[in-house]
This record gives sequence, C-alpha cells and structure tokens, in this order.
Amino acid sequence: MRKETLFLILLGALIYLILIVYGIKQVYTAPAIPPSKEIVITKPEDKIVIAHTEIFGSLERPQVIFDHKKHVEAIKKEGKKEWETCSVCHREKKEKLTRIKKEDEITKEKKTEERDVLVFEFPKKIVKLDKEAYKKAYHDECIGCHKEKLKEKKKAGPLTCGDCHVKEKEFVKIKYPLVEFDPKFHYDHETKLKERTGEKDCGLCHHTYDLKEKKLVYQNGTEESCYYCHDLSKKKRGPELSQIVKVTTEKRLSYQKTAHERCLSCHIKINKEMEVSKKKGEKAPPLECGKCHTGEYRTIADLEKVPRPDRGQPKTIFITQNNATAKEVYFDHSFHEKQYKTCRECHHERLKACKECHTVLGKKEGNWINAAQAMHNVFSERSCLGCHYNYVKSKKECAGCHFMIKPIDIRSLNPKETTCEKCHTGKTKPNVTSIAKLNPNQVKDIVKIDILSKEYKPVEMLHVKMINALIENSNLSKLATYFHRDEKTICLGCHHNIQKTEIDRNRAPLCRSCHLISSENPSSTKLISAYHLSCLGCHKKMNLDKGIKCEECHKESPKKPKEIVTEKNWKTIIKNTRNILQVWHPE
Amino acid sequence: MEEKTVLEIKEPEIKSFSDFWKFFKEELKPKGKIFTPFNVITFPIMIVGYICILIRLIKGLGYPVTNLSQEFPWGLWIGFDVVTGVAFAGGGYVLAFIVYILRDERFYPILRPTILNAFLAYVFYAGAIVLDIGRWWNIYNPMVGNYFGYNSVMFLVAWHFFLYMLAAFIEISPAIAEWLGLRRIRKILGTLTLGAVIFGVALSTLHQSGLGALMMMAKNKIHPLWYTEFIPILYFISSIFAGLSLVIFEGSISHKVFEWQIPEEYHKAYPGIVFSLAKICALVMWGYLFIKLIVLVHDRSYPYLNSTMGFWYLIEVIGFVLIPAILYAEGYTRKSLLIIKCASILTLIGIIINRLNYTFIAYNWFVPLAKKYWPTPIELLITASIVLTEIWVFRWIVNRMPIVRPAPAWARKLESH
Amino acid sequence: MKKISRREFLKYLGSVLTLETIFMKSEGWSKEEKKEFYGLLVDITKCIGCRRCERACAEANGLPIPDISEEKNKEVFKTLRDTSTTQYTVINKYETEKGVVYVSRRCMHCNQPGCVAACLVKAMRKRETGQVTWDLNCIGCRLCMISCPFGIPKFEYEKAIPKIQKCDLCFDRFNKGLIPACVEACPTGALTFGKRRELIEEAKRRIKSDPDKYIPYIYGEYEVGGTCVLYLSSVPFEQIGFNTQLGYEPYPKYTTGFLYAVPFIFILWPLAMLGFRKAVEGGKKHREEEKKE
Repeated sequence: MRKETLFLILLGALIYLILIVYGIKQVYTAPAIPPSKEIVITKPEDKIVIAHTEIFGSLERPQVIFDHKKHVEAIKKEGKKEWETCSVCHREKKEKLTRIKKEDEITKEKKTEERDVLVFEFPKKIVKLDKEAYKKAYHDECIGCHKEKLKEKKKAGPLTCGDCHVKEKEFVKIKYPLVEFDPKFHYDHETKLKERTGEKDCGLCHHTYDLKEKKLVYQNGTEESCYYCHDLSKKKRGPELSQIVKVTTEKRLSYQKTAHERCLSCHIKINKEMEVSKKKGEKAPPLECGKCHTGEYRTIADLEKVPRPDRGQPKTIFITQNNATAKEVYFDHSFHEKQYKTCRECHHERLKACKECHTVLGKKEGNWINAAQAMHNVFSERSCLGCHYNYVKSKKECAGCHFMIKPIDIRSLNPKETTCEKCHTGKTKPNVTSIAKLNPNQVKDIVKIDILSKEYKPVEMLHVKMINALIENSNLSKLATYFHRDEKTICLGCHHNIQKTEIDRNRAPLCRSCHLISSENPSSTKLISAYHLSCLGCHKKMNLDKGIKCEECHKESPKKPKEIVTEKNWKTIIKNTRNILQVWHPE
Repeated sequence: MEEKTVLEIKEPEIKSFSDFWKFFKEELKPKGKIFTPFNVITFPIMIVGYICILIRLIKGLGYPVTNLSQEFPWGLWIGFDVVTGVAFAGGGYVLAFIVYILRDERFYPILRPTILNAFLAYVFYAGAIVLDIGRWWNIYNPMVGNYFGYNSVMFLVAWHFFLYMLAAFIEISPAIAEWLGLRRIRKILGTLTLGAVIFGVALSTLHQSGLGALMMMAKNKIHPLWYTEFIPILYFISSIFAGLSLVIFEGSISHKVFEWQIPEEYHKAYPGIVFSLAKICALVMWGYLFIKLIVLVHDRSYPYLNSTMGFWYLIEVIGFVLIPAILYAEGYTRKSLLIIKCASILTLIGIIINRLNYTFIAYNWFVPLAKKYWPTPIELLITASIVLTEIWVFRWIVNRMPIVRPAPAWARKLESH
Repeated sequence: MKKISRREFLKYLGSVLTLETIFMKSEGWSKEEKKEFYGLLVDITKCIGCRRCERACAEANGLPIPDISEEKNKEVFKTLRDTSTTQYTVINKYETEKGVVYVSRRCMHCNQPGCVAACLVKAMRKRETGQVTWDLNCIGCRLCMISCPFGIPKFEYEKAIPKIQKCDLCFDRFNKGLIPACVEACPTGALTFGKRRELIEEAKRRIKSDPDKYIPYIYGEYEVGGTCVLYLSSVPFEQIGFNTQLGYEPYPKYTTGFLYAVPFIFILWPLAMLGFRKAVEGGKKHREEEKKE
C-alpha cells in the first residue's frame, strides 16, 4: 500500500471516529424538550416592544425594544417641559363631538365642538398599513432624528441595524399591568374636573357613536364604559354594538389606543394649564407610563365607601316585566353596585336595564335569550342565580357546605314554589333577620363516630361548636342571611340529600343510613369516603388551619392493628419471598 | 505455521464410537504454534470473560454486571450480540440462496466458510441470549410445554433461531461427514442440503425482519426518524448487505490466515468473488437508501432532521450507508480490493450503529443523561469473550474440516453440479 | 385410496359426532355466566395523597411496607416517582393551576395489552375478568417492558432469581371475592372497583353532575384500545404526567401486520425459490445445449 493511501485511510478513520463520538455525546446530552426561549418582563420600566406583528407577520429581524423614558428624558434635557415632550413624536388630531340635549327638553340643541387629541401612535405621520411603508416611516423618523442630533453634536441614539434590532432581545415579551379605572378613580376625576370646570360635564370623557350620522355624540344620561365599543378582543356582541365595533375595528381604535388618547391628552392639557396657573401643592396628572401602570389594585373592600357613578339609577327596584307570570323580585341595586368594581360585571352589553334586551319571550337585541334564562342560568356569571352560585362556591366561608350542594336550576323538573318564593316575594320587601345560636339541648353537643375505628380511636366531632360557628358565618353575609332565614337550613349542609321536613322534626339520619361500610357498588360512596370527602372537603374549601391533618381528628388507638388489609395475595407473596441468592439491594 | 499441502490430510477410519472418540481426542490437540500474538492477547480476555459469565450467573443482571435499567431493558448483549450478530450472519442465507437457488457457482469457494460462520454466529450470539435472559433456567419454555405465546414476535424469532440453527447445521454437516470420512452419511446429508437451504432462507427472511418487528410496539419510545411501520423490511434488507459485508471483511482475514489451505484456482477466483459481492452490496444499499427515503416521506418525519437526533440519523445514513455504497461501486469499477475492504468495515460499523440505535440510543432518547445506558466493563468483556470464543472455534474447525480447503475427491464426485 | 362402504362411513361419522358433543359439553357449552372485565376508577379530584393505597398494596403482596407518616410524605412528594420492583403503585404530587393534585400511577390493565402480545411464554396473561397478571414461567426476556406504552413492568435486575413486578389488581383476593387492597384502604373513595362498563357509566355520571369539577374526559376509555384502569381529573391530563398522544390503536395491532404475513411468506417463499432454481437450471441447460449445437 502506498503511503498516501495509508494516510488517506487513517484520516478517514479519524474523521469517522470523531463523528461517532461527537454524535453520541450530542445525542446523550441533548435535552428532549428545548427550553422555551420566551422571556417575559413584568417590570417594564417604561420600555416598549416595537414588533407590529399585525403588519409584518413573522419578523425578519429581531424586534426593537424602545426605551421610552430615555427618550423623554433626552427631549426634556433640550429644555422642553414634560408635557411638551409628547408632541415631538406624536401627532395631533381634531376630534369632533356633537352634544345632544335630552329628548324631553323643548329644544334639542346640538352643539358640535372640536377637541385637540394627541394620537399616541408612532410614526408621527399617517402611514399606509403595509410593511414597506411602516418600515420606511419608522426608519425615517427614528434614524432621521438620531442623525439630526448627531449633526447638532449631541448624544444620539444608534444608527446601525443591529443596535436597535438587538438579537438577544428577540424573544422578550413586555407586559404592562392593566390600569383598572375603578370607582375611586372615577369619583376623584369627577370631583376634580367639577372643581376645574365649575359644572359636572361627563361629556369630557364619555361619548357614543351615532351609526346613521357616523359621528361621535354625547347625550347626558347615556354614559357607558369605554369597553363596550373599544374592547376589540371580545368577539360576541349584540346587533347594535356589533356595528359600532366594526367601525372602531376599522379605525383601529382599540381600548389601549383610545385610553391613552383620552387620558393623556387631557393630562397634558391640565399640565399645561397648571404651568401657567402655578397652583402650589396641586398634584399634576401623571404623564409617565409607570405612574398609571402601577400594578396595584384596590379591592372591593377598599371601594366600599366610594360613591358609585350617578347616572340616575334607582337604589332599589321590584324586578318584573309586562308578560311575566312570576311575582316581582325585590332587588337592592345600590347594595349590589358595591359588590363589584365595574358595572360591566352585570351590564355586560350596554348600560341598560336587563329587561330592555331580555324580555319574557326574548328579543334579537338579547340574542334571543329570554328573561328566565338571563336571570336563572346557573352557569352564567351575570345572571342572578349564576352569580350567587359562583359566590357560594368560591367564597371560603360558604364553600365548605356549598361545594357539595348542587345548584337548583329552573330546568329541574317541578321546581317547588317554596324555592321560587324565596326571591319572588311580590311587591313586598322581604323581612330577613339573622339567625340565633343553636340551643345545645336540641342537638347533640359532641358526636362520637366509632363504627369504623380500627387503627384510631373513635372521632369526637364538636357538633354544636361547628354549627354555631357556621351560624356566625352566615350572619356576617347578607346573601347568607337572606337564604338561611331558618337556622335549620344550615343543617342541610352536612345532612344532605334528605327532606327538610326531617330536620324540622329534629331528626337527622345518621350517615350510615345511606352510605354503606363496604364498597361493593362503584356508584355509591362508601362510609369512610363519605366522612372524609365531606369533612376534609369542607375544611379544605374553608381554608381552615385545623382539621386537615389526620392526627387532629384521629387519636392513635393503643390497640393499633399492624395491617390495614383484610386478606392477602398469598400467591404473589410466595412469588415475592426473598431468594437466597439476592445480594445487591437489601430492601 | 506448519506447511501442509491440501492432499496430505489423512482421513480417519471410523467404524465405531470408540474410533470416533480416539480420533476426536487426537484432533483436540492444538495444531500449529501455541504462543502466537493472537492467542496471547485473546486467551486472557476469554478467561476473564468466562469468569465474568460465572459472576453474571451467580449475581444476576444488577449494577456491576450490567447497566440495564427499567428505562433501558435491552443493552449491549441484545443490541450487539444478538441483533447485530444475527444480522451479520445474514451472509449465510444470502450466499446459500445465490449458490443453491440462483445456481451461481462462482461463489462456491466461500460458501462453506460463510455457512459455518453463520451457524457458529447463531450458536454463540443467539446463544448469548441465554446470558441476557433474566430467568434462563426457563429458556426451554417457548420450545416445549403448553405456554406457546404465538401472538408474540419473540416467539417466532426464538423458534426460527432454533430451526435455523438446525438448517445451518444440516448445511454444514457434509463437511463434518467428510472430516470423519463417513461416506454413506455424507451421501444422505448431501441430499438434504437443498431442502435445508430453502428452509433456511425462508426462516432467515422471517426472523431477520422479526428482529425488527420486536420493536414495533415501542412506538412512543423510539424517535420518529427511526420508528416506522416498515422496520421489518429495513431490517431484512440491511441484513443482506450486512452479511455480505461481513463475508468480505472476514473473508479477507481468513484468506490470509488460512492461505495454506486454499488451492490455486480458489486464489485466482477470490478477487472476482469479492468484486461480485461488492456489486451486489452496492445495489442492495442503494435500494435500502431509496426505501429509507420513502419511509421518511411517508411518515413525514423530515422536520425531525433539523435536531440533534436528526444529525445522528444523518451520520448513520449518509456516513455509514451512502458513503460505503459509493465506495463499493467505486471499488467494483476500479477493481480495487482496498476500497472494498474499507467500504465493508464502514458498512459493518453502520449496521452496529443502526441496531444499537433501535436498542438504546434512539430508544427512550428523551431520558436525561443520568439515566442513560452505557455498557459496563463486564458486559464488554463478556461480549468480547463470546466473539473470541467463536473465532477460536471457527479456527479449530477450519484447521480440521474441509471448510476453506476444498472437499475430498470422493465428496466432490457426489456433488453433481 | 381405499374404498369405504356406506356402513363403515356412517359408523365413522357417528363416532366422530358423538366424540365431538362429549368434548364440547365438557369444554365450552357450560351454563356459566359470561365473564366481564373488571376495572378500577381513579378519581384524581378525591385523592388526598395519604398513600394508604401504597401501604395496603405492600401489605397484601408481601412487599416492603412504606412509611406513610406526614413527614415522610412531604419528603417523598418532592420528586416524581415511578412504580418499582417493590412498589406496584405510587402517588405523585403535581402543582397545577387548580392547586395541588395527587396522581396515582399503576398498571393500566389494558384491554389489549402490549405486554401480553409480546410475551412468548404466556407469562403475561390477560385474565377473563380483565386483570393482567404475571406468572413464574417467565424467561426474563423483558420484551414486555419494551412493549408497554406506559412503561409499567419492572424487572428485578439486582436479584439472581429475578421477576417482573407489576400490579395484578389483587387477582388472588379477587378470586376469593374481595376487592383490591388499595381500593379497600382508600379513605376518600378516590379508587373504585367494579365492572369496567359500570365504572364508565359512573365516571360519565360524575362528569355530568359536576361539570366544573371534572375535565370531560375519561382517560383510559379509548386510549390504546381501552384500558381497565380509568382516570378522572380536574386538570388537563398532559399537565399531570399522562401521555395523551398514545392514540386509540391497541398496541398489539402494531405487530399483527408482520405476524399475519408470516404464514404467507413461509409457504410462498420456498415455493418461489424452488421455482427460481428450476428456472435457472432450465436456462443453464438450454444454453449448454445451444453451445453444443
């Protein structure tokens, strides 16, 4: 063999060896599921992601992370005030609003006013919605400004592609915490603006859209939430609202965009005015991202004392309709207002009365959902029954008993009048008082459960103590007090699936009457399961610290049997006997 | 090595068992030098290997003996000894098919060594199954008794191994009869050969693909690039060129070692045989690559090529199937034995990689590194000792029986070609 | 062919028929009730992670008894465990969006088990009543471990006389009329034993009556052709360690394609080879004769 051939063969062998070793190494050490590359930032610090995937689709170059604060500071350094910095990059537009006076007034005065609104979009000039135009606009304005600053011999931003389109930031996602415009904000804005302008003018923020005239109108008494028309993420809408949402979608007036337009334009104006008036001690409305997007939210308890927006809504009403056969339902609207942060939780489509869309027979506006469904659907979050059902299932004070109680739906066969009458009281306000503590002579103080004790001593359940705790709980909640008017209703929480008449006769059957000790039938819950599911279930749902660990209820019995099984698998045991030659792993 | 010409081998006169026993004891004595470099290196390995086998039988399959685990129940022994060993033994049935069915007499000189190799491979490597099986004392259960699990592919494979050993034994038994000088038995055995060959080829087709079908139920454990419904067909076709490559590789070695036994006309014919084999290999490998491509498209698994496992797959297919196929074709056109030998080595390594992929590399490929399977030193030693024992037995037989050297004259007369 | 008289023929026929009836009566035509598959319903929403099932299983099968005290459980739940040669069932703890969930891992006792199809000595058997059991005539080849889609059979590598260990739904106890030990020991009724058909009805009833509580899916109803161990859960099954990509095809079907081809190849291939040989020989002879001419 020639020297060259030998060399070639050895070289080939070496290459193959390296390939095999490298290949095996890679195969053995490669993670099966590649780690997700997405990085989510929740502390934005005024940075914004510029990706425009709705225009560009999948990006050729990495997205740009824009430091908004840095730019604002840079413009401020050039001598501009904070409220002047916005218009450097963002354009203005004129917004026309037609004010309509109420119809019952003699003259219908229509006043059209024009307002200056800053459009918080970038690029500054209006651009066609395609890739090339957007790219050019961004480059012209960003790089153009940077170039200008360089010419003025000032510190400027980057000019090259890779400095803005940073590869490492390719998968960064920035999430700004949602700003909740809760009733406190609304009340503060109302009061402050009333002070400033001298009269209550809701039209400064609120408007609706007239489909026929195709313009913004405002009529006193028709104020609604911005979300109704500007929430473009929600798909399902009623017939009228769908038309309006079509317009807002076409004009790309998302909630995010319009909120910034409305809020910040006004804030800028007030900042400008305060600059001139120079009132001491008055806090200027915020212009920085982080000042509004704080991530802090008020709870319903915080908002209890805050007055809700006044739109002429009644405090209490008797709910009824023209063709309804059921009696009226007394409804305390002002109480229910305070249970939520927004009106939209119940007034999901528009801020109108339920019966305007949900009539007895159903209407197109209500998507043909009739009043019965709208009020009684147990699986809805907005209907009366649905909301109450959700409440008792989720609130820990209620869930202990209510997680086991099935909801009563009006579709259940033969709904009893006694059940309906709880709410359908007619034109009388129901008189509901809290329940008194239970008389220990009526019920057993301590219940001893000993039928199943084998490893543990009999369980001693503090019966009366538990019932009194539940009664106290119930009395704290208006909803509970309403429905637990009779203290014996509380008994039905554990003594379930029985007739209430039995409880009235002071007879509660033992669990063992229905739950068998053995578990032959897969459809029936055996006794030990019934005990544990209902006791532990209640304790867990109520988030109790006590009563979860075994030892708290079960004291160890002195005569504890060694095993818990009745009979063994002898054939398997013979198979599993230790063999003589077993050496390595002592068990 | 002592010089011995073909014609000087004395034939024994065996008329009774005591004659046979005396002759056999005489044959057991070593022929040739005892302390050759090969013997000196391999003998200690074999002894240590036998001790390890004893350890394995006493202590079971636990950690120091093997690295088998609940995630990787099959390791080096099944993956290499059994599956790859049987694939390599495929040369036996392919050559028997070519000589006895397609009646191509050119391959006759290498037929007997190949069939002997196949037989010994099955005895030793398929026999290595006994070592790997956890409850080896029950090994007779698939063969006898009322516990036939005929719904199992393994049942089919086990029976076929056993029957193929019988068929290969019948095919090689004429050589034994010639060695013992038993003419009448030799005549009878000669008539059985064709039946044994046909039986053997049918069995081989089924159990070579059966070894692949064993992995069919590991669908969620084998990487999609390797798992396909066509695994049995891939195994069968790869066994053809695996066996032929082993024939070329091992033939080139025994051609040197047993040179003194080979007559002139066989010497002259040898390169021609190798070139023909190379041609067949190249054609079959191209066919195999084409089928692999069809499988890739049919299962739509080509996106997986863009990953670590895909990279390993490409190494296996391109580096160890495509390139050897090209080398075989080149070697055939240029009539270069060197290129063909290199190609055969690459093919053999490729087959080992392929079979090991199905056993523990692409099987449960998503298991983290800490739980992955590496062969232990004891496993490697036992495998080495089995391979070396097989080589030693092969050498013993070839040095005594007419395997490499042509059959005695009276036997050749019986073979009416 | 020997000629047979009419009388002899009738005698022969009569004896065959009588033998057959006797044979069949003693074998198949009994009036026993038809046996059904029994199964286990695991309701994950009810499991509290007390591990009494693990302890009862160990006691009933002669395995080392695990420590199920509170402190030990806290330690044990830190890692995800698999069944082992000493534990036929294990509980794993998962943190999900609906809180902490305890999931029992055990043999699924498939309707058409891969392990049973793989076993060449019928050591793995599917009983008439649904349990998949292992027997001592096993040869230890471990093909059942490769064929199980859930990776359940565990092999005792460290022993010199190794066995395959897995749950057999307490087949012994079942033959004495009892339910599996784990079901008996479960304090909350997360485990229920009964006929597979009835368990599916019960599972559907539970889903229907508590739609917020359960994911409307019974794992094991159709997976790999249906399994006798069924699961109900409150969180999606992928999040708690279940493989939902196994498909609905029973695993033995993946080998039947090959196995059904075997008899054909075994009969046709030798015939084809004989044909080839004859053709080749004939061709050769023809050419030799031509040469001579």
